[in-house]
Amino acid sequence: MTTMTARPDELLELPPRTSEFRRFLRVFLGRKIVILGSTIILALIIVAIFAPFIAPFDPYRQNLRETLQQPSGKYLLGTDPLGRDVLSRIIYGSRVSLMVGLVSVGIAGCIGMSLGLLAGYFGGLADMLIMRFIDALMSIPPLMLAIAIGAALGGGLTNVMISLGIALIPTYARLMRGQVLTVKQSDYVIAGEVVGGSDLRIMLVHVFPNCLSPLIVLVTLNLGYAILAEAGLSFLGLGISPPGAAWGAMVNDGYRYLLTNPILSFAPGFCVMLVVLAFNLVGDGLRDALDPRLRGTI
Amino acid sequence: MIHVLEVRDLKTQFRTDSGVVQAVDGISYYIDEGEIVGLVGESGCGKSVSQLSLLQLIPMPPGKIVGGEVIFEGFNPLEFKADSEQMRAIRGGKIGIIFQEPMTSLNPVLTIGQQIIEVLVLHLRMDRVTARRRAIELLKLVGIPDAGQRIDNYPHQLSGGMRQRVMIAMALSCNPRLLVADEATTALDVTTQAQLLELLQDTVKRFNTSLLIVTHNLGIVARYAHRIYVMYAGRVVESGTSRDIFGNARHPYTVGLLKAVPRLDEPRGHKLVPIEGLPPNLINRSPTCVFLPRCSHRVEQCQREPWPELRLVDGQHYVSCHVDITKQSCPSNYALGIAATLASGVTAVRCEERASVNVRPSLDETLLEVKNLKMYFPVTRGLLRHKVADVKAVDDVSFKIKKGETLGLVGESGCGKTTVARCILRMYRPTEGQVIFEGRNIAQLPKSGIRPIRHKMQLIFQDPYSSLDPRQNAGSIVGEPLKIHHLVKSNTEYQRRLAELFRMVGLDPGMKDRVPHEFSGGQRQRIGIARALACNPSFIVCDEPISALDVSIQAQIINLLEELQHKLGLTYLFIAHDLSVVRHISDRVAVMYLGRIVEITDWKSLYESPLHPYTQALLSAVPIPDPFVEEKRERIILKGEVPSLINLPLGCNFHPRCSLAIKECKQVVPLLRDVGEGHEIACIRV
Repeated sequence: MTTMTARPDELLELPPRTSEFRRFLRVFLGRKIVILGSTIILALIIVAIFAPFIAPFDPYRQNLRETLQQPSGKYLLGTDPLGRDVLSRIIYGSRVSLMVGLVSVGIAGCIGMSLGLLAGYFGGLADMLIMRFIDALMSIPPLMLAIAIGAALGGGLTNVMISLGIALIPTYARLMRGQVLTVKQSDYVIAGEVVGGSDLRIMLVHVFPNCLSPLIVLVTLNLGYAILAEAGLSFLGLGISPPGAAWGAMVNDGYRYLLTNPILSFAPGFCVMLVVLAFNLVGDGLRDALDPRLRGTI
Repeated sequence: MIHVLEVRDLKTQFRTDSGVVQAVDGISYYIDEGEIVGLVGESGCGKSVSQLSLLQLIPMPPGKIVGGEVIFEGFNPLEFKADSEQMRAIRGGKIGIIFQEPMTSLNPVLTIGQQIIEVLVLHLRMDRVTARRRAIELLKLVGIPDAGQRIDNYPHQLSGGMRQRVMIAMALSCNPRLLVADEATTALDVTTQAQLLELLQDTVKRFNTSLLIVTHNLGIVARYAHRIYVMYAGRVVESGTSRDIFGNARHPYTVGLLKAVPRLDEPRGHKLVPIEGLPPNLINRSPTCVFLPRCSHRVEQCQREPWPELRLVDGQHYVSCHVDITKQSCPSNYALGIAATLASGVTAVRCEERASVNVRPSLDETLLEVKNLKMYFPVTRGLLRHKVADVKAVDDVSFKIKKGETLGLVGESGCGKTTVARCILRMYRPTEGQVIFEGRNIAQLPKSGIRPIRHKMQLIFQDPYSSLDPRQNAGSIVGEPLKIHHLVKSNTEYQRRLAELFRMVGLDPGMKDRVPHEFSGGQRQRIGIARALACNPSFIVCDEPISALDVSIQAQIINLLEELQHKLGLTYLFIAHDLSVVRHISDRVAVMYLGRIVEITDWKSLYESPLHPYTQALLSAVPIPDPFVEEKRERIILKGEVPSLINLPLGCNFHPRCSLAIKECKQVVPLLRDVGEGHEIACIRV
C-alpha cells in the first residue's frame, strides 16, 4: 500500500528550525524595547546587591546641619528633613522595594494561580468552596486586609510581604479560573483525556501554559502596586521602621515638602515608575516570545 | 444589455506584517436582472473579499482597493467614500447582503422586528406603523410562521434557520436590485439549507432581483446558479453557464475540484483524486499561473509565460489556462515527465485501490455494541439547581460495529451524533444503557477503570485548529500517548516510533519540532490522526474529521483514512453531516434524528432505497454537483423546524414534519425493526 508522502512544496515553506531556546532569545531580544526593560531591571538588581559600594553616603546618618538641601554636586538628589542623602536612601531603598514587590507578587501568584487552576479545572464542589473563599477575601479592600493581617502577625518586612501576598490572591485566582474555564473547552484538552492523560498531566501540560498570557501582564502591573502598598503599611507602622529606607515610604515622607523640595517625593516615585515600566516591557516580551501562535509574525 | 452589476478588474490588497496580500487580483464579472450567479472557490480565494470590496466594507487600512471599477445603476460605487450617504444607500438598500453566521449577524438585545423596522425607516423613510406592517409582511414572505407574534421575538428565541430567514427578510426589505448570499447557508443543516435556497430562488423569480451566491459548495451552485465563476487565488480561472462548468470543465482546477468531492450519484469503490499541494500564498505571488505547482496538466509554456488571461472557449465559457485540456493526453507528458510523482502516483494508487476494495476483511466479530444507550442532561433552574427537565440528547440508541468496518453516523446538528461518540469514548457517563467494547461493558466504569483501555479507542476531531495544543510541538503532541501508556522503552524507540507515525500520515518526521501554528489545516488534521494512531487503537471515532477543511484537502484526508484502515485493520465510527462523504467511506450507515436512530443498514440500500421518510428527505436535500442530474431530481423539502430537545413531540419524533404521519404516529414511539437483510427502520408507516 502506498502511503501518501508530503509533497516537497509543503516542506519548503518554512525556514529550517533553530533550537527552541535560541529562537526564544531571538524573539525576546529582537525588540529594542524589551532590551531596554531588561537592562533597567538588571541595573536595579545590581544596584540593590551592591548598594553599600555604590551609595555615596550612609543612608541612615543624620546631619541636622544640612537638612532639606537642594540637589547639588555633593548631594546629587539633595537631602531630606533629617539631612540624609536622598540618593543613598534610594539606592538602599531599592533592596526593600524590589524584594517586597517580587516576594509578595510571587506569593499571590503561586497561591492564586493554583487555587484558580484547581477551581476551574475540577469545577463543582471544589470550585464552589475555593471561589467562596476567594469572594470572601475579595470583599475586603486589599490594603485593609493587609493591615489586618499585618496587625495580627505583627510588623516587620516579612509580615508585610506575607500580608500583601495574601491580599493580592483573589485577582490571580479569579483571572486564572476564568482562563481555565475557556481553555478547558478546547478540543486539545479533550484530546488529552482521550489519549488517557491523568488530570494532573492535563492540568499542567495542556491547561496551565495556555492560561498564562493575561497573568503575566497582571504580575507586571501588580509589582508597582505592591511597592506602593508597602509605603502605606510602613506609614501605619507595619512595614519597615525608621530609619530603614524604602521607596514607598520615601514618597510618603516627602509629600509634605512637595512645594519646596519636590525631589524628595519625585525621585523615589520615578524609581517605582521605572520598575513597573521595565517589568511591563519584559512581561510583554516574555508573553510574546512564549506564544507559539505568534511565530513568524514577529 | 445593461447589467445590474458589473465589476471590472477589481483589485484589493491587505497590508500585513509579512507583506502585501493580494486578496483579489483583478477579477471581472457581471450579473443580469433576475439571474442567479454562483461565485465558487475555496477559503482564502478572495470570493468574500471581492463582495465586501464593492460594498466598501473591508477594513481600510489594512485593506485597500487598488484598482478596477464597479458599475451599478450607472454609478461607480467605488468613487463614493466608504461612509458617504450614497454608499450607505447602496448597502442594505439597493444591494442586500446575507452573511454566513446567523448567530452573530443579528443584534441580541433588539427584537427582530426592531431591527427590520430600523432598516425600513432608515432607507425608505417609512413611519414606524407602516414599517411594522411591512416587517410582518416580509417575515411572512420568508416563511416565518406566526409572523405577527414572532416579530417581537429576540434573536435567541429563534433557531439558526429562522434567524437566517430574518436576515433574508432584512436584505429584501428595501426591494434590492441585487442580493448577495455570502456562504449564507454554510452553517446550516442540509434540510434547512434546501429550504432557504428554495426561498431565495423563489424570491428571485417573484421580484426579478438578481442573486449572487458566494459559496465553496459545488452542489449548491449546480442546483441553483445560471452562470458560475470559479475563483482561485484572487482571480477568476473559469466562468460560464452551469452546464459549461459542470459538463465541460476546461480549467485543471475546476476539473480537480469536481473530482475531489464524492458524489451521491456515482458508483462507489474508486478513490478520490485530491488536488495535491496547498493553496498558494497570496504574498509575493509568482508572475506565472498560480495554480501551476498543483496542476497536473502543466506544460512547459506555463513556466515561461505570465498568468494567462481569460480566453473564450465557446458561447459564454471563458477559461484562464494555456493548455486546452481536452486536446491534451491526460495528464500531459510534460507533467508526467517533470513531476512523475503527482499524476502517475495517483493513478497507480487508484488501480491498486480498486483491487483491494474487494479483499476487505469482513470478520463477523463484533468489536463494539451499543445497547439502549441513553444520555440525558438535566436542565436546572434556580439557586438550589433543582431539575426542571431533561435534554434527551441520546434516547435509546442501539447498534453494533463489526471489526474492520466503518459505520457512518449521519444526522443534522443537535441530533446527538457527537454525544453518542462521547458516551462510547466515555467522555460522558451514560445515563442508561450498555457500551460493550471487546466483550466488556464499559458504560459505567469509573474514570480509573477507563484509563487503561483508553489506548484502544481514539478520537479524531473536527477542528484541526483547536484540537492541537498550541504550545506543544508536533512531536510531543503525537508522542504523548506513547509516554502516557509507556508504549516505548527507550528514547531511541520513541524517536523511531514518532518518525514512523509521521510517515504513516504523510508528514515529514523533520517537522516534529514545529508547533501547530506552523502547519496548514490539512497537515494539522494529519497530526491529529497520527496522535490517534500512536497507541495502536483498534477503534477510532472520526467526529466530522473533514468538515473544517477545504474541498481540495478533504479528499487527501479521506484517502488517508481509507488507506490507514486497510493497512492497520481499523474500525471506524464515522460521524458526519455530509451524506456524500459518508456514502463514500462507510460500510453501513445509521441515520439519527433527535437522539434516536431512524434507519440503519448497509450503505447501498440506504442510498439506493431509503425507506424512512426522514432519510429520503435528507438525501434529496443534498445537492449534486451536476446540473444535468439536478434537473431531473425530485426534491422533498421538509416542512418546519427541528423541535427542541427539551420539548420533544410525543410518539415519533419526526411526525410533525413527516408527510406520511397518521394519528398513531403521535402516540406510538416506533422501535427499530428489521425489514429484511439487516435493514432496520423506525417507522410504523413503512
